[in-house]
Amino acid sequence: MNTDDINLAYKIRHALNENLDALPASTTERLAAARALALSRKKADAPAGKRKARRFFDVDFGFAGTGLGRLAIAVPVLALVVGLGGLYQYEQQQRIAELAELDAAVLADELPLTAYLDHGFNAYLESQQRQQ
Amino acid sequence: MATDKELGDFLENVERRAFKQAVYAVRKDEAALDIVQDAMIKLAEKYGDKPAAELPMLFQRILQTTILDYFRREKVRNAWVSLASSLGRRGGEDEDFDILESYEAEEGTAAAESSMDQVERAQTLQLIEAEIQKLPARQREAFLMRYWQDMDVAETAAAMGCSEGSVKTHCSRATHTLADALRAKGIKL
Repeated sequence: MNTDDINLAYKIRHALNENLDALPASTTERLAAARALALSRKKADAPAGKRKARRFFDVDFGFAGTGLGRLAIAVPVLALVVGLGGLYQYEQQQRIAELAELDAAVLADELPLTAYLDHGFNAYLESQQRQQ
Repeated sequence: MATDKELGDFLENVERRAFKQAVYAVRKDEAALDIVQDAMIKLAEKYGDKPAAELPMLFQRILQTTILDYFRREKVRNAWVSLASSLGRRGGEDEDFDILESYEAEEGTAAAESSMDQVERAQTLQLIEAEIQKLPARQREAFLMRYWQDMDVAETAAAMGCSEGSVKTHCSRATHTLADALRAKGIKL
């Protein structure tokens, strides 16, 4: 755009601004009310501590905050690790118990060897126990 | 991050121009007021925590989206209205009503209250506004954002979702069209 075009654009801008002053009072009042309504719904500023903790994927993982902030992260992580460990131990015990039961049944000759290949042998064992 | 005062000052500074922008697009004062109110609320609710420097671009983007939403709603509404009127067509008296007639009459009455010079000046200003209304939507948006809202080319491009080159092209075409139209009507600024 050359200088004449830019001059014309700014003259039009001046004319448009002049027109703004001629807006009816009802319109300006309505706009002011809309502004007040918008301000009353303004997104609240997040507190500094909370914002730090929310940056989970940052390098410091939010651990640079206060001692309470660190504890708030560490306790759930610890609980998760303990819980997963407990679950693993429980599953291992269950598996050992099942194998022992199977071995005992085979040794007592109550089970045919083909029961090893039978995926439903647990049901078979249970029915045997019920009959006894 | 924009404080309450910064956001308030920004909205106060921009609200009347935003209203006019919406009027140029939708040509109904009441609808334009609703659009500006919606845009202000969306800005405050969703982007109230953004830096004050980003507010003009964000607000323009929201305003343009809200105007588009308005047109979409109008399109759906008009489809239902035309369907209903075609079903219940009885006599043609009521169908002659045209909202543009009442709109133009309002403009006339506002000008009629002024003195001779003021009328001439007001008419000139109205002609300029009318020519701006006639511009293609994208050209009008680019022109108003660049030269009325004081946004730079990069901000305008971001708000319009296009390249900086497109913004320059839109602005140039808009200015030439306005210059030709005003010259044809004998208006010299």
